[in-house]
Formats: sequence, C-alpha cells, structure tokens
Amino acid sequence: MDAVSFKVDEGCVYGYLGPNGAGKTTTIRTMLGLLKPNQGEVRIAGANPSKDPVRALQLVGYASELPTLQTFFNAEQLLDFMGRMFGLPMQTRKEKTKQLLDLVGLKEWGKKKIGNYSKGMVQRLSVALALINDPMILIMDEPTIGMDPEATAHFRNLFTNLSKNGKTIFISSHLLDEVQRICTHVGMINKGKIVFTGPIEQMLEAFTQQWVVEAEVEKVTENILSSLKALEFVNDVKVDGNKLSIELKEKKDVRGEISSEIFQQKGVLLSLNLRKITLEDAYLQALKGGQ
Amino acid sequence: MDALGRVAVIAGYEWRRALAKKKVLALIILAITFQTLITVGLRQLFVGGFLTNEASSLIWISGVLEGGLFVQLIAIIVGGGSMSEEYEHGTADILLSKPIRRVEYMSGKFLGGFSLLAVVEGLTTFVGVILSLWFFGAQSGLQFAPLMFLAIVYSSLIFFCLSFMFSELFRGSTIAMLFALGILFASSILSTILGFLYGNLSRGFPTWAATSFPPLLMSELITAPSTVLPVADTGALYEAALIIAVYAIVFILIAAFRLLKSDVTKKTG
Repeated sequence: MDAVSFKVDEGCVYGYLGPNGAGKTTTIRTMLGLLKPNQGEVRIAGANPSKDPVRALQLVGYASELPTLQTFFNAEQLLDFMGRMFGLPMQTRKEKTKQLLDLVGLKEWGKKKIGNYSKGMVQRLSVALALINDPMILIMDEPTIGMDPEATAHFRNLFTNLSKNGKTIFISSHLLDEVQRICTHVGMINKGKIVFTGPIEQMLEAFTQQWVVEAEVEKVTENILSSLKALEFVNDVKVDGNKLSIELKEKKDVRGEISSEIFQQKGVLLSLNLRKITLEDAYLQALKGGQ
Repeated sequence: MDALGRVAVIAGYEWRRALAKKKVLALIILAITFQTLITVGLRQLFVGGFLTNEASSLIWISGVLEGGLFVQLIAIIVGGGSMSEEYEHGTADILLSKPIRRVEYMSGKFLGGFSLLAVVEGLTTFVGVILSLWFFGAQSGLQFAPLMFLAIVYSSLIFFCLSFMFSELFRGSTIAMLFALGILFASSILSTILGFLYGNLSRGFPTWAATSFPPLLMSELITAPSTVLPVADTGALYEAALIIAVYAIVFILIAAFRLLKSDVTKKTG
C-alpha cells in the first residue's frame, strides 16, 4: 500500500471497495495492528492498535473473510471464550451467547463442533463473534461471502439496524449493490492507493461522466434518429433494435425535450428513462481512472 | 481485565487446544505404557538376581526418569505447535485482533503449554512411584519425589523453549518439531561422543543439562551410597541448572523478538 489515508466518522457505515489484490484486506489487517505500517499510523478512537491494542481494540468487533475458527470448540464455547478475551463477566457472556446465536440463526447449532459447520454458518458465527463485546466499531471483511440470498438479506438488515443504533461500521465488500444499499460513505482502493473516499453520493457524482436517456419506441425511423442527433444537448445516439440510447453533453434531465422531439417525428414512445449511475458504474469508472 | 487475566485466558485456551490434539494424548499413554514395561523388565532382573536390594529400593528414581524421555518428546510436540498452528489455521488473526498485547498472548501460550507439560510430568512421576512401590515394595527417599518432579519440570524447559522458539520462527508446526527433534537427537549423540572423548566438553549441549539435572539433584539429596544415582557433584548440578536457564531465556527472547517485531502471518496451512 502507498500513502493510504482515510477517516471514518463515528456512526457512519463505510464501504471499502477495490478489485482483488488492491489492498483491502491488508488495510483491515493494518487497522487491527496485525500488520505494522512502514510509515504513518492507524488511530481507532484515538488509540494506535499497534502500540496500544488493549485500548484500541476493546471497542472493535472484527469479522474476517471466510475465517477458519477453532474447530475444537462448539459455537457456545467459542463465543464464551471470545467474551472472556474482552473481560466480560460470566452472566453477560451467557446472555450474549444465547442472544447472538439467535440473531445469526445458529440457535440450534450452539452445541455442535464448529468443524461440522458449512462455510455460510462459519461466516454467520464470525459475525456473532464480532458482536460479542457490543462493539462501537465493527470491522468486517466480506461479511456476507458464502451466505445464501436469504441470509445475505438478513445480515443487510442487521447491519442497517446496528448502524441506526449508532455503531460505526467498516465493510470491505465486492457486492457493490449491498454497499450501495447500506453504506453512507465509501472508500476505494486500487493498486494500493486510495482512489476515492467520501459520501457515497459524492462518489456517484464524481465518477458520472455523462448522463444517458434510454428511450424505447415502436419503430426507429431515420427521421427520429437524425432529429435527436441534431439536438444541441445530445452528444450521440446509439440504436439497439427499437431502443435508443441517447448520450447527453451535460448532466441535465432533458426527458421532456426528447419525448417532444419523438412525437414531432410521429414516433410512438413506449418508455423513457434517465439512466442513473450505479455504484458499479462509478466503481468501474474509478478503476479506469476516469474521475 | 488486567494483563494477568488476559494471560490466564490464553493459557486456558492453550490447554484446550493442546488436549484437543490426539497426538499429545497418545504420547501420554505411550509414556505410561513404556514406564510400566520398563518397570516389569527391571522386576525380572531383580528376580533373576541382577539387581541389588539397594538398587531396588531406589528403583522409583529410574521409574520416574524413564518417563522423562517421553516428556521431552511431549515438550517438543506441545511447544512446536503452540504458536505455529495458530498461523497455519489462520486463528492467530482472530486472537490477535482482540484487546491483548502480543507479549501477553505469547506469555499465555507459553504458560499454558508449559503448565500442561508439568501436569503430564506430574502424572508420569506419580505413575513411576506407584509402579516402583507395586513391583519392588518399600522405596527409599520417596520424600524427595516432589523435588524430583520439579527437577524434571525444570529440565524439560530447554526442549520446550527450543521447540516453542522454532514454532514462532518458522510459523510451521512440522518444521518446528522436526528441527527440535533433530537437535534433541544430534545433541544426544554428539554429547555422548564428546563426553567419552573430552569429558566436560559435552556439557555445553542442551541434552546434557536436560538429562543430568534431575539425577544430579537426587545425588545431592540422597546421601546414602548408591549404584542407581551418579556421584554427587554440586558444581555439575549448578552448572546444569545454569545451562538450562540460559538456553531457555535465550530461546524465549528470540521467539518474543520475532513475534513483537514482525507482522502476523496470514493463514499458511
């Protein structure tokens, strides 16, 4: 990594994006004090996890990507052990263990050895382990990887609720749709460098190169095509069957003008949409360096 | 929770982890079986008139020391897997991302592994004494059995620390155990040859201190003339004690330096 610098404010849900090998997991491991940076430092609630892990990590819950947990424990024993590592009293550990196993859908599996768990179940347990100390900060590396769609939706809601309860959440993920749904802020790393960090709307805005209006007409005629191309705000028009993709010169909603033009050319308009940029579009633009 | 509490949590964890390994339990059973077979063999020698009454009254010392060979092997297996298996399985990340200092983590690992080893040694000492009483009747100097036990625990520090150090240096359990075993056998052979050729020169090898300390201590304590024990030599006793301490401290410092100064390795297994 090279000069990676970002700040995650209290209470925000920060999505950390980047292609494979970009440095996402390395960033997280550095944040947790597992890797020592050559230069600079990490601060979690004012404490440096490399120098003072006891203070810095007391507030943190961490779920790693596809973790290999201690297979000689069952889920209850492992949650109890992790609670002990945070110095929780026995009664609290008991209550939290029961509550968390229920929360992640492993209530029936609490007494079974972890070695018998599926990949998705291990991932669920990993999230439960991250919550044992009721952390203020949750750091999760691909938390829903290996989970079925139902579990993914359940955990998305869980993270949203945790965020509503004031927790700061840092999620590294490849699932851009998930990130767009739950994150307030995003950071993007590529080839070890931060390409963007800020509110998610700002990223969408920053990486939108042009707006596109998509129109579906009954029949594309030469008149419709040439008149649309002649409009001063249109950059180009692409045709795919009876669908038109109208690229605009400016970021401006001109659907009214376009529909009028199609009617004037005696065209029958079936649908008209202003295509909004998704996080995936912005992500791909950012990877190309197209800010 | 204070530092001692965190060390204790990791020590307890290390117990569970080590006991979950079937090979440790297998070695304990093997050690006790071996002790039993040797004692039965010695009994046959006694019945055949090859052992004196004086020797048979101190046979508990041999019985206890026989278990010592396996204790060195158990020390190597427990120490060799202690740090490295966490890296191999990827669990070091999980443990060290919790509020614990690396030095506390290592101390817990060390104390957990070594206390488990001490319990195994306690068990083999107890079995050795019981077998001697069973097969040979009343024994002399049994009041020193607890000291004998402590001497064996202390002497096993060398190979436990050596294996523990390799465990952290290589971060691979098989290579750590193989290196420690290699040193155990090489040191044993070389110190025997050098001892035969040059006498005291062999004392620099770790096996000399590890194997000589308990019988040397017994020689100091049991003053009656004996063919079972070596000749009392206070200087050699202190030398063995010092060599054990120096080796153990050096090995642990190397392991601590490696852990404190380097990154936590991702899953290697």
